[in-house]
Amino acid sequence: MSIKSTLNDSNKPLVCVPGQRLCLLDNEHVSGNGTYEHQGYIHSSLAGIVKISEKTENNVKRNLIEVHGINEQSIVPAPGDIVTAKVMVLNQRYCKCLIKCIGDVVLSRPYRAILRKEDIRATDKDRIDVYKCYRPGDIILARVLPLTEIHSYQLSTAESELGVVIAHSDAGVPMIPISWTEMQCPKTHNKEPRKVARIVPENAPV
Amino acid sequence: MDLVSDQGLRIDGRRPKELRKIRCKLGVFAQPEGSAYLEQGNTKVLAAVYGPHQVRNRSKALHDAAVVNCQYSMATFSTFERKRRPRGDIKSTEMTLHLKQAMQASIKTELYPYSQIDIYLEVLQADGGNYCACVNAATLALVDAGIPLKEYVIGCTASLGNGDVPLIDVSHLEETMGGSNLTVAVLPLSGQIAVLEMSQKFHVDHLSLVLNEALDGCRRIYEILNDTVKNHLSEIGAISGWGKSDL
Repeated sequence: MSIKSTLNDSNKPLVCVPGQRLCLLDNEHVSGNGTYEHQGYIHSSLAGIVKISEKTENNVKRNLIEVHGINEQSIVPAPGDIVTAKVMVLNQRYCKCLIKCIGDVVLSRPYRAILRKEDIRATDKDRIDVYKCYRPGDIILARVLPLTEIHSYQLSTAESELGVVIAHSDAGVPMIPISWTEMQCPKTHNKEPRKVARIVPENAPV
Repeated sequence: MDLVSDQGLRIDGRRPKELRKIRCKLGVFAQPEGSAYLEQGNTKVLAAVYGPHQVRNRSKALHDAAVVNCQYSMATFSTFERKRRPRGDIKSTEMTLHLKQAMQASIKTELYPYSQIDIYLEVLQADGGNYCACVNAATLALVDAGIPLKEYVIGCTASLGNGDVPLIDVSHLEETMGGSNLTVAVLPLSGQIAVLEMSQKFHVDHLSLVLNEALDGCRRIYEILNDTVKNHLSEIGAISGWGKSDL
């Protein structure tokens, strides 16, 4: 009996524990999150419930076996991920940030990251002034760069969709973007330079 | 004094192949990602797991795996004699290293490069088999933390009484009065041994006997822990409606 029919027979979710053998690793089954392959079988690596979804790959329908833990997944930033970070410290060469969310997952513990001057903007790289792009306390969207020898995550905002999302003025009011490079305070009407992100809905048609 | 009486009972009234009562609970603390409390007879252990998070000491970071950091400590009131127990003495450092070895065998560290997983263990009451209780408690805490494991890692001790009777899950009295003790930590499903330690030499004829007994103990402890985790999951899952999943 396949794992799928076992699941469908009972309405109760199938609870599994780490190391539990879930099903045979064959052409019909692919191991997904929370599982691993070992000696021709798919095993669970988490304690949680088994979830099976259909995945079409190269026009072949396969069952994707996943295990979802009860509490949220513990994840770490991977190169290429879009993260939400808070700017903490600025200097001439880089700004230090704290990664607060990866995608739409809120982290329970922030990760430290560095956004170097060269990675702030895609154009005019040699004329970037860190202080004219970010201020401490700004909430930014950024992409994680591949890990290098430096043992800290490196971010990049060199895309028009990346940059400041939320910034507060000196008056403590959230500012409104007026161009790609400026934001204005609705209370004092002061303009402040920022590297503003062009916010696009995630499911917008491309 | 014999460790096994004529009636075939041990000092605490157990049969030679009988485990001590195991009681355990997952998720006892709110702050760490995962925690567990485990009682094996009179040995009581608390475990807390933090992480995976960024490596504190940058030079220790690994580019292809998570660093597993264990810390073993005993409470001042854990033994018969009240005594301040500083961290980092030889006994607890050795314990820490062995715990790390056992945990590394089970955690899928390759999933978390440049990260660190902290496991803190505190012995509240020591009555023999501290290492095993710590391994079992740490496993439960890791499961509670949702850290991917290859499988459980289970610890168990065994010893010899009256010269040739294998005793399982020895208490402190039997540990000190009896002969050599064998401590083993295994991955019970695949049968791989992560840690194996003898306090003294064993006769070759006895070693396999005692080892098999310890491995059998591990399998039985595994069943107990498995039941606990499944019960815990169904309880938590039923309350939270199995998370946000659309099952």
